[in-house]
Amino acid sequence: MDERERKLAVMELAMEAGQLLLENGAEISRVSETMQRICRHYGVESASFFTLTNGILASSGSDADPLYAKVSYIPVNSGRLDWVCAVNQLSREIESGCYTIVQAKEALRQIRRMPGKKTGSTIAASAIAVAAFSLMFGGSWADCLASAFAGLFTQIFVIYVSNRYLSRIVGKLAGGAFVTFVCLLLQNFGPGQNLSNMIISTLMVLIPGVSFVNGIRDIASSDYLSGAVRVLDALLGFACIAIGVAFCFMIYNRVFGGMIL
Amino acid sequence: MLDMLVQFLAAMVATIAFSLLFGVPRHYYPLGGFIGAAGWVVYLLLDRNGFGATTSVLFATMLIMLLSRFFAVRCRCPVTVFLIAGIIPLVPGAGIYWSTYYLVTNQISLAAQSGFSALKTAVAIVLGIVIVFEFPQKWFRIGMKREDGTMRMM
Repeated sequence: MDERERKLAVMELAMEAGQLLLENGAEISRVSETMQRICRHYGVESASFFTLTNGILASSGSDADPLYAKVSYIPVNSGRLDWVCAVNQLSREIESGCYTIVQAKEALRQIRRMPGKKTGSTIAASAIAVAAFSLMFGGSWADCLASAFAGLFTQIFVIYVSNRYLSRIVGKLAGGAFVTFVCLLLQNFGPGQNLSNMIISTLMVLIPGVSFVNGIRDIASSDYLSGAVRVLDALLGFACIAIGVAFCFMIYNRVFGGMIL
Repeated sequence: MLDMLVQFLAAMVATIAFSLLFGVPRHYYPLGGFIGAAGWVVYLLLDRNGFGATTSVLFATMLIMLLSRFFAVRCRCPVTVFLIAGIIPLVPGAGIYWSTYYLVTNQISLAAQSGFSALKTAVAIVLGIVIVFEFPQKWFRIGMKREDGTMRMM
């Protein structure tokens, strides 16, 4: 590899690392800083990056460095925080000089091959989480049991229906309606006693927590553009969930008449 | 007292389960669970002693953020790993639910009231994160030996 090819490979490596971070819910400042650090370590001084919520613009070019420009669109994937951690660790190790460029590329590929969470454990985790929330929000043990089932069904719905066939907005709408429907069923025919408690606990599974927290952190570190987009995404999520719940309540009222509860 | 213990354990279980949903690496589960539970218990204690929901959420968020940064520096991992799952119990899901419920049942003033309190809670979370975010990184390195000179973002 001559010097020019080497520096282009560095830019490609930085882009790949940035992409991995961004699509798995890292903050904007972390993405930019990691890419900047990789480039500086391998001696591409003129590299500059502009990171948005769903894209990275990168360029380099000076007397010493070759011309390089790339725009890549990066749709937000599932949040795999373990990948973010692994890339973070990798960039540390790159800086302390443990990797050549080729090795670092291979390491990134390894990270992408890290095994994901299993569907079964995801479903079990949301059942357990919802049951715990039910207790935290003042439910009885019966509510806790009913909520566990509601959480189980909701996560199955999210994995097999929302994530596969629905857009984000419609997915949240349908999710909110589904939660309310399941909780109404569990209250009328199952062990549930306190409908509100069950619905509130189960809704927690749908809440866009990653966008919300990351948006705030982006705004705190003055990345207003991306932060605003993420916070907006979270607020839209909250609003859609609420509309879904309202929709289901209204239908229930129409069909069975009178007050809920 | 027993009630608080149940609450602490429930919050711990919920936070760990959410850590799994967000794909947090497994060896961070105990710490993450502890941080989430500590935040929740502080929120409950403050709220039950008359501090009001918004103030309680503010202080609980600040505690969660402080602990997250503290442990992130020591484990050399992103703050996000502890922060996101830890903050979930404080997110105003109840406020959203009640405002929708009152809206549907035509109790508009109650709906506005609970919607507004949900908004206040969200603002408290934002403030808590932003305030602690501004603390300089070196405060969180107290008691650590400095093996590398570079300050790194967590």
